[in-house]
Amino acid sequence: MFMSKRSTHHVVKSPDGGWDVKKGGASRKSGHFETKKKAESWGRKVSEKQRTELVIHGKDGRIQRADSHGKDPLPPKDKK
Amino acid sequence: MDSFDKNVFINCSFDDDYRELLISLLFTVMYLGLNPRIALERFDSGETRINKILKLISESRFGIHDISKIVSSKKDEVFHMNMPFELGIDYGCTKLLKGQWETKRILILGREQYRYHEALSDLSGSDIKHHDDEAIKLVKVVRDWFICEVFNKGPSHKRIWYEYNDFMNDLSNKLTTQGYELDDLETAPIPEIMSYMQEWLNKNNN
Repeated sequence: MFMSKRSTHHVVKSPDGGWDVKKGGASRKSGHFETKKKAESWGRKVSEKQRTELVIHGKDGRIQRADSHGKDPLPPKDKK
Repeated sequence: MDSFDKNVFINCSFDDDYRELLISLLFTVMYLGLNPRIALERFDSGETRINKILKLISESRFGIHDISKIVSSKKDEVFHMNMPFELGIDYGCTKLLKGQWETKRILILGREQYRYHEALSDLSGSDIKHHDDEAIKLVKVVRDWFICEVFNKGPSHKRIWYEYNDFMNDLSNKLTTQGYELDDLETAPIPEIMSYMQEWLNKNNN
């Protein structure tokens, strides 16, 4: 089963052109920007404030990177 | 809807450079409650490929045929003729067979709108929807076509696109927990991804 991980914000290609920031699971955008750089900058501030993970997507939807700004509910297990 | 009415035969390139388009296409079809059927889904090595294709076409009311690859993009690139061949079989089914096959509907996709009529002039007059090799456009084209052909109304392309991005993140996390490393994500078998897609949609898209 897919487990619910931490709360997320996503920087995604916008259907209206440019780039959107949206909260994970939301079907509407939180912010719209002309460039990906501006979307990332705004998304990072929101993500830090709300202690979520910021996920940066490529224009095809693939994950490029994720930056955590909150407490991970499923931290890596210590293998020692 | 019985299974024939929900089955969508997907005819496209399985090359690496089409992979992300294919995944977004499969997601859109499944998001709309339909059942994508692709040649990769069956591994019976005793069955010839053409017999496998014929069975998939005969079991599917809808056919999505992306013929982008019939035109080479690089010097010395081999033409992919399977796509127009399978499109011809599907088209023949709609015109020559009776019964449920008379209800078949075909969507033809290409990278650009007018690029293919020279290579496949039999398609002159046919409406080829183009996606410019962009997943976000492919999602809209496929969604809009099904809404017009079948459903009349449904979730917007924006909603599908946003949820596709959510799925890609959850898929990445899921595959990582299954022992895949980040570099492996590009090579996970398509049937396995389809299985996760269905599981995710069942959980998130009631």
